[in-house]
This record gives sequence, structure tokens and C-alpha cells, in this order.
Amino acid sequence: MQPSTKLGLAATLVLICTSTMAEDEHSGRAPVATEASTQHKQHDHAQAQAGSPGAAVGQGKWQGREWTNYPLLTPMMDRNGDRATAKFAAQNIRPAKLEVFAPGGPADRLHRQFPASAEGTRIEAVTPKIGNYHWVSAREESASKVTVASTAYFFGNPGEAPTRLLLEQKNELEIIPQPLPREHGAWRESEKWPFLLRFNGQPLAKKVVRMETEFGTKTSFISDEKGMVTVLFPRDFKPAEEKPGEGGHDHGPRRAKFVLAVVHDDGGKRFLTAFNYTYSADAARGKNLSAGIGFGLLGMLLATPLLRRRKANNHNGAKEA
Amino acid sequence: MFKTMFPTLGRFRLFVQIAMLLLTVYGSNVVGFYMAEKVSNALPALSCAYDQQNGAYCALISTQHLLHHRIGEALAKAQQITFQMFLPLLFTLLTFFTFFFVLGKAFCGWVCPLGTIQDLVNKLGRRFNLPLHRLENGNVSKVRPVKWLMLIVLVLALPLLTGLGITPHSLGNPYCDVCPSRIATTLLTGSTEQIALRTGDGIAFTLGAIANTLAGFILIAAFAVRQPFCRICPMLSFNAVFQRLSPMRLVKKQHDKCDKCGICAKACPMDIHEIAREHGAKAFHEDCTLCGRCVEFCPDDGVIQMKWGPIVLFKSSREYYRQRMKGEMPDGTIKATAPHKPGSGANDA
Repeated sequence: MQPSTKLGLAATLVLICTSTMAEDEHSGRAPVATEASTQHKQHDHAQAQAGSPGAAVGQGKWQGREWTNYPLLTPMMDRNGDRATAKFAAQNIRPAKLEVFAPGGPADRLHRQFPASAEGTRIEAVTPKIGNYHWVSAREESASKVTVASTAYFFGNPGEAPTRLLLEQKNELEIIPQPLPREHGAWRESEKWPFLLRFNGQPLAKKVVRMETEFGTKTSFISDEKGMVTVLFPRDFKPAEEKPGEGGHDHGPRRAKFVLAVVHDDGGKRFLTAFNYTYSADAARGKNLSAGIGFGLLGMLLATPLLRRRKANNHNGAKEA
Repeated sequence: MFKTMFPTLGRFRLFVQIAMLLLTVYGSNVVGFYMAEKVSNALPALSCAYDQQNGAYCALISTQHLLHHRIGEALAKAQQITFQMFLPLLFTLLTFFTFFFVLGKAFCGWVCPLGTIQDLVNKLGRRFNLPLHRLENGNVSKVRPVKWLMLIVLVLALPLLTGLGITPHSLGNPYCDVCPSRIATTLLTGSTEQIALRTGDGIAFTLGAIANTLAGFILIAAFAVRQPFCRICPMLSFNAVFQRLSPMRLVKKQHDKCDKCGICAKACPMDIHEIAREHGAKAFHEDCTLCGRCVEFCPDDGVIQMKWGPIVLFKSSREYYRQRMKGEMPDGTIKATAPHKPGSGANDA
């Protein structure tokens, strides 16, 4: 086989296989997109994060189960295709409003407030065309206690990176991701990620941060002298359950909710702050490395004839220089 | 100083390529975690977004997302077609065009990490005197349409059909799923997660298997064929769409000796034979990656030039050609390791 033929064959293989796959659909089975290949299928991050209040994100029997008593802000599936708005449900907290902090944009819109609603509070990106991460928080305050729920929300439009946004002080007691996952990334099972604890803008050392996940893990971590907490995301994903009639709409890698919470007493007041978001299944779950290496080696094998020298009287068009 | 460090355009290009490879693969470790926002989310090069520590720069991802998430879904919902469909696509194209306007197809020849990897592997092949296979006229014309098919089918059609709900979500970004750059660049960061194949889903498994086979093939083929993947890369065809709009271009004047010489065609890593016999716009072929080798190896003064608008960035000269030929043959063979081959261009001019 001539090298040029092989090059053509490799390309043709790609086309044949993809067209075959186009026919191989609607089998009634939910296509489980690969973690690898679907990191950026989560481009529609609202869909990735959203769920109904108190519910897990598509985790079968876990759905609807109350998994934490800490305050949560959960995005809801109700944006009507508008990439610049989102709707949030507040759980275990009764705020009067949601506060939204933007990473950039017009100065008068960087910090906005939206009156809370029992049916879900609709928030907006700083402007319709500016996206990226926005910080969302809710606050409930009494004479003796301040409770804060916080989360981040990715509006699917270009926008400033959230470095400054994260470090901006928004409440007295804060749990700050350092950093948030990038647009096509995620916190994943078995990974360690740093978070910063602050009180009134100052690092909070030797403080216990509790973590709960919707799969039932309850654990804790302690901040170091600089207020940094290294959070190990537990490997606790349960097997997915397929739902009849919902095949073909499983969009992106599996995600689950988690919450980090910290309590701090100061000046006779108790401060409770929680940060909730999602983490995803380990990239290695449901994957076969050996098969991957095997196909890589197959490709190498197919190319090895190219490394042989040919006789001079080659008439097939591919010419040894 | 500059001339001492970079005595040839080839040396300068290699430096730029390696710098870009480091930037696109490891750059976020230096300039910050959110590097994609600083560089762009739409760099016209195969700088992959899949590695967790890497950036998200490849314009092909943005394009597939637009077609999958916005245009297809908007069409399916039949709502606000004008703003939801065309504006985002326009923004992506403008972003794409912005970068294209600066460097044009030089993104392929100077920035793309997969292009650099293939280049480096081929240099190894030349160093160890492995055979070098060129595609002759007939075969090269058979391969050329494949890049357009890759663009139309994998980057445009399937994501759009997925957005319309006709094909499954597993085909939302099929080009990325088969892209060998995804495998190569993530392996460079020490991550094996992209080479592992998803089991339990036929489409994902098949796409992954194709990607791995293609990546393995490209890796070995690059020892003996210059830029094997570039020839079918949809980024090349995407760039070619905008080729004539960029001020960055290759210019070739008509010259009597060109018909008999042909050294520039031998130097071309994309086997563009037209460069030897054509001039004017036809010489700046759709497969050109603006690597500049044809300019370097043209033995006549000012016949081939790389220009940015009216500015001549580099032009052929007999003196430069003589110097260049001291170390390397037009086909990339290192002089010290080269067996004598009549017609290789070394003394043909």
C-alpha cells in the first residue's frame, strides 16, 4: 500500500465511521458522552449545573433526596434558552434577595441585587453579552447569626476571568475557590483543589471546613496558616440509572452537588457560610486505557511500512525523495 | 544578535514553534490558570482544551459549540433566529478573523502544536536518515479534498445536526473526538485520560478508537511523511476560506528558470507542486501553511516573498540559498547524514 493511499485511508476511515455513527442513533440508549470528549459539551453550563430544588443532578434514586442541612443556591432549569439569565432556588435559607457579583463590565452593574422569590429567583449576567463566572450569594441575618449561601454561575458568553471577582470581599465569612474550574474543566472525584477561608478579608487559619455531597459523603478539612484548605473531592459517585424515555438527552459528564461550610464566632455573633457547586465523575470511570493504547498501537503499526525504503522504480505516485 | 541566534528563517521558525508549543500546552502554569481568557478562546490552531491544566484556544471547538448549542438549538426551537443564530456565529468568525488577519495561515506553520510535533518528528526522521515519501501530483490532489470534507462534515454539519436534534449528543463535537492533537497535547502534559476509551457507548468508543488510531498513525508516519495530518486538517481548510483576506501571504513572481528548477516544491512540506510552476495568486495555494521553506530554498533573488501587506518579511536570495544549503537539503535531510541523491536540489540550481 502506498503512503499516499494510507493517508487517504486514514482520513476516509474518519468519515466512514462518523457517517456510520450518524445512522446509529435513537437506539433508546442514553449516549453516555465521554468525560474526555464532553468536558466542553458542558459549554451550556446552566444545563450542567441546573436541577430542581433539593434534587440531585440526574442521579437516579438519589434524586429528590435531602442531602444536606447547609444553605444552598441551586440553579434551576428555567432560562428559556436565554444565556444571560439564570434562575436559582434557595434551600435551607430564606434570603430577601440574591446578590450577584460580576467579573467585569459597567461599574454600576458589577454588583446587583435581585429580590428573592419562593418559586426561584431570576438573575442576570452583568450585560447580555458579557458572561463567564458570576458570584451569587444569599444572606439571612438575625441578631445572633449570619447565614450565607454562595455559589458561582457560568454564563455562556465571553467575559473576564474571575480572578479579581473571587478575591473581592462579598461577605464577612467567605469560602473562596482558588480557582474555579475553567470553562471546559470541572472539579472531579479524587482531585484536590484549594479553597481560601477568609473573615473580614483576612485569612482564617486552623478552621474546620465541612463538606457534604449529594451521594452522602460527609467529611472535613482544616485550613492552614494562610487560610488555605485543600479539598479532596470524594470518590463517591453511585452507578447511574437510566431513565426510560430520556435516552439521548444525557448531556455531558455526570455531575453531583457538594457543599462546603464553615462556622465562625465573632463579636457575639455566629457566622455560617456555605459554598455549593458541582463536581463530576472521575475521568477514568467507564473508560478503558488498555483499549485506547491498543488502538494507538494499531495506528502506529499501520504506519510502519512507511519507514521502509522503497525500490527506485516506484510508479504509484508516492515518491521517496 | 538576532542573526547570530537565528541564522536562518528555519531556525527562527523552529524557535517560534517550540515557544508556541510550550505556550499552548504548558503556558497556563506560567501566565495564570485562566490563560484562555488572556489568549483567546478561538485561536486558529489545534491547541486543545481537553487537558484540565491546559487552555481552551482552538477555534474549532467554538465553531462546533456554536453550531451545536446555539444555531442548531435555536433553529429547532424556531425562536429569535436572527440574533441567536447569526450574531454569535458572526462573533466567532470575527474573532477567528482577527487572529487570521494578524498571521493568516502562518498559524498552521508557526503556531499549531500538532504541526510542531509533526515537524519535530520528521526532523528526527531526517536526522536518522529514514526514508522520506512525497506525494506526487496525482495523489496529492486526491488527498486535498479530505480537509474540506473534515471541515464540512465534522466541524459544521454534524454539530449542527446534533443541535437540531437529528444526531445524538455524542456527535456534538465530532472533530474534537477524532482530533489527534487532543491525544498528543494531553499526553505531553502527562495525562492519559484522553487516550482511554469510553466503554458502554458505541459512538464515543468508535470516535475515540479512530482518534487513537489516527494519532498513532500520524506519530509514526511523520517520520517519513512531512506534516501528514496537516494535509487533512479542517483548520487548514478553515484558514483557506479566509486566505485571500489576510495581509499575510506568499508572493511569487514569474521567472524563466522556475519550470526547470522546482527546488521550492521539493522544500514544501505540504507537497504543493504548484509553487514551482505557478506565480501570482495561484502560487499561494490553499494548502500553504506559510512555513517559508519555499522562500528559503528559492535560489533566485526576490522571486518568492513572504509579505504582510506591503511589508516584505522575507524574500528569496541566492546568497541565503547557498548558506541554507550548507546545512540542509530542501527536503529537510540534514547534510551530514544525506546520501547523495541526484535531483534532490542540492546542486540543481
